[in-house]
Amino acid sequence: MLQVARLLMDTSVLEFYPTIFVLVTEVMDMLGDLVWERIKQKAEFTEDETRVCTLSENFGASDICFDAKETCNNWFCKVGSVRELLPRIYLELAILPCWRFLHDRPEECLQRVVMMTRGLADPLASSYCRLYMVHCARKLPACDTGYLITCINDIKVLLMRTISTTESPYAYLTDNKKLLVSLMEPTIEYLIKCILNDASQRQLGKILVELGIGKTQLELSGSSPCISIILHHLLKELPTEVVVSNSMEIFDVIRYTNDHSFDQCLNYRLLGFKLSESRSQMEIVNAVVDKVIQVVTEYDRLEDYLTVLDAYMDTILQNQMDDYLNSMLEGIVDRACKKKIVEDELASLQSIMVKLISYFRELGDLFSLNHFLEILDVMYGGSRNVVNMHILSMAMRNGYVCDQTIVKLLFEVSRSLHDGMDLANMKDDESQLPSRLIIRFIQLVDYGEEMEQHLNFLVECRGIFGNLSDLKETLVHSSNALVTKALKGGKNRLSFVKSCVAFSEVTVPSISAHIRQLNLYLETAEVALLGGLVSHADGLIASAMSCLQSLQLEDVGSQIHMEIDGILSSIRKLCSLLVVVPGCIPDQGATNILKGVLSIIHSLSWMTPRMKTRIHCSLVLLSAALSQNKLPYHLHHSEVLGNDMLFFGDTSYASELISFSEPILRYLVDAIDQEPLQTNRGSMALEACNCIASSFKINDDLLMVCYKLIDTAKSCLSVNDKFLQSTIKFLDKRLPPPSPIQVN
Amino acid sequence: MATVELKPSRSNRIYRPSSEPFDGKIVISSPSSISHYGIRLSINGSVNMQVRGGSAGVIESLYGVVKPITIVNKSVEIKSSGKIAPGRMEIPFSVALRQCGEESMERFYETFHGSNISIQYLVTVDILRGYLHKSLSTTMEFIIQSDKAELLNRTVSPEIVIFYITQDTQRHPLLPELRSGGFRVTGKMSTQCCLSDPISGELTVEASAVPIRSIDIHLLRVESILLGEKIVTETSLIQSTQIADGDVCRNMTLPIYVILPRLLTCPTALAGPFSIEFKVTVVINFESKLSKVQSKFDPTTPRLWLAMESLPLELVRTK
Amino acid sequence: MVLVLALGDLHVPHRAPDLPAKFKSMLVPGKIQHIICTGNLCIKEVHDYLKTLCPDLHIARGEYDEETRYPETKTLTIGQFKLGLCHGHQVVPWGDLDSLAMLQRQLDVDILVTGHTHQFTAYKHEAGVVINPGSATGAYSSITYDVNPSFVLMDIDGLRVVVYVYELIDGEVKVDKIDFKKSTATTHP
Repeated sequence: MLQVARLLMDTSVLEFYPTIFVLVTEVMDMLGDLVWERIKQKAEFTEDETRVCTLSENFGASDICFDAKETCNNWFCKVGSVRELLPRIYLELAILPCWRFLHDRPEECLQRVVMMTRGLADPLASSYCRLYMVHCARKLPACDTGYLITCINDIKVLLMRTISTTESPYAYLTDNKKLLVSLMEPTIEYLIKCILNDASQRQLGKILVELGIGKTQLELSGSSPCISIILHHLLKELPTEVVVSNSMEIFDVIRYTNDHSFDQCLNYRLLGFKLSESRSQMEIVNAVVDKVIQVVTEYDRLEDYLTVLDAYMDTILQNQMDDYLNSMLEGIVDRACKKKIVEDELASLQSIMVKLISYFRELGDLFSLNHFLEILDVMYGGSRNVVNMHILSMAMRNGYVCDQTIVKLLFEVSRSLHDGMDLANMKDDESQLPSRLIIRFIQLVDYGEEMEQHLNFLVECRGIFGNLSDLKETLVHSSNALVTKALKGGKNRLSFVKSCVAFSEVTVPSISAHIRQLNLYLETAEVALLGGLVSHADGLIASAMSCLQSLQLEDVGSQIHMEIDGILSSIRKLCSLLVVVPGCIPDQGATNILKGVLSIIHSLSWMTPRMKTRIHCSLVLLSAALSQNKLPYHLHHSEVLGNDMLFFGDTSYASELISFSEPILRYLVDAIDQEPLQTNRGSMALEACNCIASSFKINDDLLMVCYKLIDTAKSCLSVNDKFLQSTIKFLDKRLPPPSPIQVN
Repeated sequence: MATVELKPSRSNRIYRPSSEPFDGKIVISSPSSISHYGIRLSINGSVNMQVRGGSAGVIESLYGVVKPITIVNKSVEIKSSGKIAPGRMEIPFSVALRQCGEESMERFYETFHGSNISIQYLVTVDILRGYLHKSLSTTMEFIIQSDKAELLNRTVSPEIVIFYITQDTQRHPLLPELRSGGFRVTGKMSTQCCLSDPISGELTVEASAVPIRSIDIHLLRVESILLGEKIVTETSLIQSTQIADGDVCRNMTLPIYVILPRLLTCPTALAGPFSIEFKVTVVINFESKLSKVQSKFDPTTPRLWLAMESLPLELVRTK
Repeated sequence: MVLVLALGDLHVPHRAPDLPAKFKSMLVPGKIQHIICTGNLCIKEVHDYLKTLCPDLHIARGEYDEETRYPETKTLTIGQFKLGLCHGHQVVPWGDLDSLAMLQRQLDVDILVTGHTHQFTAYKHEAGVVINPGSATGAYSSITYDVNPSFVLMDIDGLRVVVYVYELIDGEVKVDKIDFKKSTATTHP
């Protein structure tokens, strides 16, 4: 046991000490528990193991029999015979609770051990020893914080000594000293935590005085009242209200506590954070901030300047201390322009900028802050990106961005963010947020009536941000929206509309996913039609179809089912769009595009029978719609006439539609039989049946087709199938009245 | 095979001569019955002195053992002759160590085992079985502590000695840097101490130009024997207790707290033919290259890098 | 009494920056039990906003939705009613009652909610009700740029559903009420 405890006498390798400490104290605790149990057993049982009494939680020394006391005494004698101080202290601490068997006031023994520990001159060994002391002392029933305060004050003396030996001329804190202080930190932190743990408000004042904090300014000057690192942990643990209500006094203590154990800036910083955590009286806040600003104005190093001020940002902003804010920003610029700012400074700068950004509601107010843009300009790298992103997110909050100066600034911010993105080396999810933000900004830009400028802006964006994925889609959507906006404006803007449509048309092919190309061709065709640009629309529809033609199965990749549904829907959408496209291209016939669709469908090898069936149904429905005397809907454009007007009463048009439909009907019946899955076959038959029944006037031929389809469905589906039942019911209603045919 | 055991009533075997009888049980276990001529209990206490080297010369050491001083020597019959049944049998006994009115020759000194002086009390039980059989017997040491009655008269007065250790209080040669730089260590300590209590006091390093390596409290025992005209004294270090490890902070009060080793101490005894005394030496060990070379040395011998102060210590038994 | 918000075709931010402020102030969290959305939101932020109004959110996929995992059609049962949801760009011709009735038969629902035309409609026909809540932002549609923002609140109570239409016309919100009763006792589990 003694050998184990002796291990802690060696502090030659600082880094290993904490590990050894943990190992040793575990063994010590084990020993302590064993001894405690052994003596307790002696007190409760006789030699032949009959119980004579049960010790209560709060037993006294008088409850213990002579034999047990003798055993206990022997243990303390054994420990006392150890020559070396350090192992002797550890061993006594391990069995410290056993003093309860001998004394009613074991805390007096603790007090003595506290004093004994002063004999350990090695700062590391001595602070760890105190750590173990606190650990063991907590096993005693009642213990006031007095001993802890003695410990802290002793550590203070030790630290002062350790630090002051370096204050000779050649002195900077060597790495070793820094390491030493950092190794002592856990003890300090733990001690202070224990002191303040359940201290009442009244006790706090007393504790502060005992720790040397609650002095007047006069007492403070000249003497060093505290050690930075202790002060730091004290500030950290003290309740915010206490710090805030004593903030002036604490400021003074920090001011007079400037040693190498801990950076003074960080204590100012901590005070700042505490101040911002709670609302307090304006005068106090004002006074403290004023003092702090005075202190940091003396700072030469940007890093220190930022470290401290970062903590006061919230307070300054919330209390609208504009003068301080201005002088602060000026201070930053003054210091930042002297040299290139370094990594640590960037982090603080970033924090400050983000606080500024989140404080202001309006971008205009933010940009008009003195020096804001200058500071933004000196930033670079990841921090710059973060700040840029915050600015862009802020811009997003208020919908459209209309102010041209702000658009310009945000454009520059986006550009800087874009340049800062290393697209080649970024993972997708990393680049997602910045590119999203840039795109969102472009989406929200609004040039109002200056639509030409808006289009120019889009063109510029395409040039600069061209390599962002998803950007092209945004540009097409924006340019298409511009068309409708121009049309709504009512004035003759034909050439502008043409420019927009042309911009969209050339932008769509650079979008990577064919399905998206398809959809955007369709959207562009729609707006072209709305603008009366029929031939443009024809061209766009042709592009959409060739896009469909080149749609390969590889393109849809792994999300194949999702995508296939989407493609199917888009093809059906194309069919619906064709309702309003005037089929008047000379010499090519009214059903030219429809035939084109049909041939593409047949050429695509990956099309399933189910998809084909649905598209054929759609074409049937389309030709039925086209053959009506009045189309179901028309374009919102007075000059583009629908086919109903163009071919009104034209019998060749009607027969062309019929001759287009006939092979489709035949095909449908055949294709359904090819579907391998039974349930699919059933529902496909029903879809086709519904489609035919609602598209045509039912004659006997068609009726036969419908019955055939119903029979197919019946053979594939359960009789109770709701779709089957409702289709039969529907078919019954559609039947021409004079020829009643029995349906089972 | 029959065995005999002594079981004193107290597990720690500590008895006081006047106020209490020495009592307990004799436990005999035997597979067969034993006939005997009587069971006797003898108690023997004596001071044994031996001169071994030490400060005595070669000639004196030839004398060897000095005639022991008998303190008590009595024998009582517990049982007259008879037969002991087979199995286990317990025979209680109780012997008054000092009879009322009986004027013993010597004081009942407390049990003590030193290097030259040994004060020992033995109890022996004999089961006499005639000449044909070997008598069964066993011996055990028991411990005598001073009578309570006797102790009542003595109270430990808190006699505190204040001491200063500086370069000028040292009578042995010191390292030049110690002489020139100087040091000052002050403290106080009680010089009379109850055996059951620790030695207590405090010590403060007020100044020291040379870093301190260690401060130790050495507990020394001084045994003296009157040998003819001469007094032969043997001083032995019985316990060292470090109170400062390394160059401790100046002006911080360190406690002196030394628990007395039970087996190596006894009340200070000043008899005619012999005496047992104690003292404490505070030794300050300064950092020096010399001390590192000589790692093993008697800590109480004056050296160039040591400063020391000896204080008398009277140990007493209270309560 | 269950309140169901039906809306869709927001096209945010391609065709509109956000919902009209007047609508936003009407739609407060905690009042609505279900939201059914006909798609074309188009971005995640809109999805997240709708989630804040009511966590029970059902969306069908529009062709411009960023999220491609929304289904093409969806059915759900609320009280005595079975509801079907589809964006509607895949209906040929768009908004055609016969075609919608066919879809309704196929999905086997009492109420079919579709969008795409950006025109509010509510029809009752043989087997149920077909509702189109229009475009909640008034975004331009495939065939017109003259669109009033609108959405629909359905109050489902037993066999009765009251449809309230909110339409923003010249900056004013107009409310219309249409009452439907479920005719047959074809209940759904």
